[in-house]
Amino acid sequence: MGKVVGIDLGTTNSLVAYVGEAGPVVIRDASGDALVPSIVSVADDNTFFVGREAQRRLLTAPARTVYSVKRFMGRGLSDVKDEAAHMPFAFAPGDGEALRIQLGSHALTPPEISAFVLRELKHRAEEHFREAGEFDFEVDRAVITVPAYFNDAQRTATRDAGRLAGLEVLRIINEPTAASLAYGLGSKDRGTVAVYDLGGGTFDISILKIEDGVFQVLATNGDTHLGGDDVDQLLVAHIAEALRAIGVAALSPEATQAVRKAAIQAKWDLSDQDSTEIRVEPAPGLPSGFRQAITRSDFEQLIQSLVERTLGPCRQALTDAGLKAADVDEVVLVGGSTRIPLVRRSVETLFGRKPHSDLNPDEVVALGAAVQADILVSGRREMLLLDVTPLSLGLETMGGVVSKIILRNSTIPTTGREMFTTAVDNQTAVDMHILQGERELASDCRSLARFRLRGIPPLPAGLARIEVVFQIDANGILSVSARELKTAVEQTIEVKPSYGLSDDEVEQMLIDSFEHAEADFDARLLIEARNEAESVVNATEKSLRLPEFPQVAAEELQPGEQAAIEAALADLKASLLAIDRAVIQERTLALNHATQHLAEVVMNRTVKAALSGKNVSEV
Amino acid sequence: MTSEPTKTPTMIECHSCGAGAPLREHFCPQCTNILQLSRHGDYFSYFGLPRQLQLDPQELEKRFRDLSRQFHPDFFYNGPATLKLASLERSSYLNDAYRVLKNTAARAEYLLGLEGLSPLKAEATAASKVAVPASLLEEVFAFNEELDEIREARESGAPHGALVERLERARAPIVLKQDEHEHQVEALCAQWDADHSRATLEALRECLLERHYLTNLLATIDREAASLASA
Repeated sequence: MGKVVGIDLGTTNSLVAYVGEAGPVVIRDASGDALVPSIVSVADDNTFFVGREAQRRLLTAPARTVYSVKRFMGRGLSDVKDEAAHMPFAFAPGDGEALRIQLGSHALTPPEISAFVLRELKHRAEEHFREAGEFDFEVDRAVITVPAYFNDAQRTATRDAGRLAGLEVLRIINEPTAASLAYGLGSKDRGTVAVYDLGGGTFDISILKIEDGVFQVLATNGDTHLGGDDVDQLLVAHIAEALRAIGVAALSPEATQAVRKAAIQAKWDLSDQDSTEIRVEPAPGLPSGFRQAITRSDFEQLIQSLVERTLGPCRQALTDAGLKAADVDEVVLVGGSTRIPLVRRSVETLFGRKPHSDLNPDEVVALGAAVQADILVSGRREMLLLDVTPLSLGLETMGGVVSKIILRNSTIPTTGREMFTTAVDNQTAVDMHILQGERELASDCRSLARFRLRGIPPLPAGLARIEVVFQIDANGILSVSARELKTAVEQTIEVKPSYGLSDDEVEQMLIDSFEHAEADFDARLLIEARNEAESVVNATEKSLRLPEFPQVAAEELQPGEQAAIEAALADLKASLLAIDRAVIQERTLALNHATQHLAEVVMNRTVKAALSGKNVSEV
Repeated sequence: MTSEPTKTPTMIECHSCGAGAPLREHFCPQCTNILQLSRHGDYFSYFGLPRQLQLDPQELEKRFRDLSRQFHPDFFYNGPATLKLASLERSSYLNDAYRVLKNTAARAEYLLGLEGLSPLKAEATAASKVAVPASLLEEVFAFNEELDEIREARESGAPHGALVERLERARAPIVLKQDEHEHQVEALCAQWDADHSRATLEALRECLLERHYLTNLLATIDREAASLASA
């Protein structure tokens, strides 16, 4: 058996964590960075890039770089029309409802794109375990988190992404609940906790009761299309307006990304400063060096209504939990967007108490996922998480009305039962349409799937009694079974998911992904070459900046040696802008060679300095 | 919808070792493995509680947590498929049972079914199509008249603020009546625990039906108020 990890598959960034001997830890890269940007890009030669590497390409190859793909998980083409207009990448003209994103010559579904990010995390974790000297470093199982308010199609899409990445998905758990697990760790806490989770693309509120190590969710609510992305979008529109005023009418994809980058930086700045300057990097079609001042109060005015949209779900969750704001003992903030001061103030006002944010809001969800993964494989029973289904489940009945079978905020796992009979003699099949949502008409709810119940024994009309059981498991994912009660014949059920992938499609994608494995491997080698190159560049630049460097150069370097180092450094940096691995490796070697003497000199001086003034017996 | 005539078994066979276990057991007394869920038995016995309508919510919650810790699928992750399925089914049943038992009205309705009275569900889901319970005629009549007037006033462009206020005033007596019914349901529950009589059950059923009617009426008012607020 391999290793088990917890994964926070985020809209903007993703993270991987595991439970070590000292408790849960987030896995970082060599530079200490835990976040892997949830971005995937493809080059002209079909090389795929993931994470930071792909993020760099947002500015240079926006049409071939996908971000925020989580917003499209489990959704149909018609759902995303408005949003798609803002995205610099293209949606493949689809057959029916299936949604695919055009990435170079590939038309990929959101689970396939997410699988790239998951593979990157899996790889990161494996590297970590390998470097730690673990014999069995393969990561084969994971708990993956989703927004609490994700529906069945979105959860299933996330599980499919895990499978496509070569992971057995032990459990899908809700992000706010995961965060509460990380917070409640090792404490003998009891009480009522509200977790307010505003991430890159989604908003959740969960109200939990914690007692005897049981984390019981009382109610959850949210909006799967509300987050930092929307804040960025408002700022982008604000900047675009200013650009229009100086005659820049339409933005090219490159310009849009440059503006978006400047918007995000300004948003960050305004979390600790009262004012900042939006600085847009040069891009085709933009006046060079465009700058615009913005104050925090301008910014707050801009996002006021967006922040208010989170308060309605909070109130609804309290009502559903049968509580008042004053009954909540603690409020916990999760998600990068809770760094925005206006968000903090609004939450504090609503609940009448200062929210907690002791743990890093970016990392707390992954830590909780790791804890849940550990519970599952170890069988430890100190902590137990009891979550709820966020949306009611129902069947379409006569006149397009939904008859509810499982109500929202039911603790999972849970079952719902419904009796069916036949309308004509010898009828052997019944069709059903299953929906999720709170509205009364089928057309206003989310279509999950259409089922055909087959194999009903031929009987006179109305005599067959078919019991259909809807089972929502601990992942919040639905399965359906049925049997005819008179004859006890199990029925077969054909499922046609309205938006997701069928099992056959997932299988086919798995086969395809093995075929792509070689290309993926090349991409991996390229990334590793770049990382290596970057660390050599950093080390060299650091030596050149040392205060004692001018003295070292004067006393110990050969004439021309410094110039050679600088030339090799410039060459290597230039090669990093391209994607030729051989060139990068060659120039990395060259720079290493050029700096070898310098490194020895610096090392000797350091040792000498350390030893000076000490006598031999001390050495 | 009547239940089929079946003789109710009192034992369940353990799928792990083949031994027989009493229905109230969750784990096989022989091999200690989790037992598959029987199709017989009821929510009260599942919690190890007598068939009583008054119960201590804290005690119920404690039992719920304890049983969750015993059954939850988290703890059977590495087990064989039969035990995983048993844990899933037992957890689901536990959650469904807790949801019903922790709510006084739902608990009482459930008991009516166990005691062989016809369920309320079909009648209660379509309040508009159901005759107004006799004891509520007066209030419902007055309310409907007021609602009609409010709708008319709205059509003719009356200011919404005033209409919302009027709606709130019309709401008050219904809420009062609803509170009365809560007390009445509680009193009847206590009475049933004491006398276990059929007559008490019939009265309870009547009271629950009226309560449903009021709940649906209040939901109508909420919708009306929401549409006024959003207009």
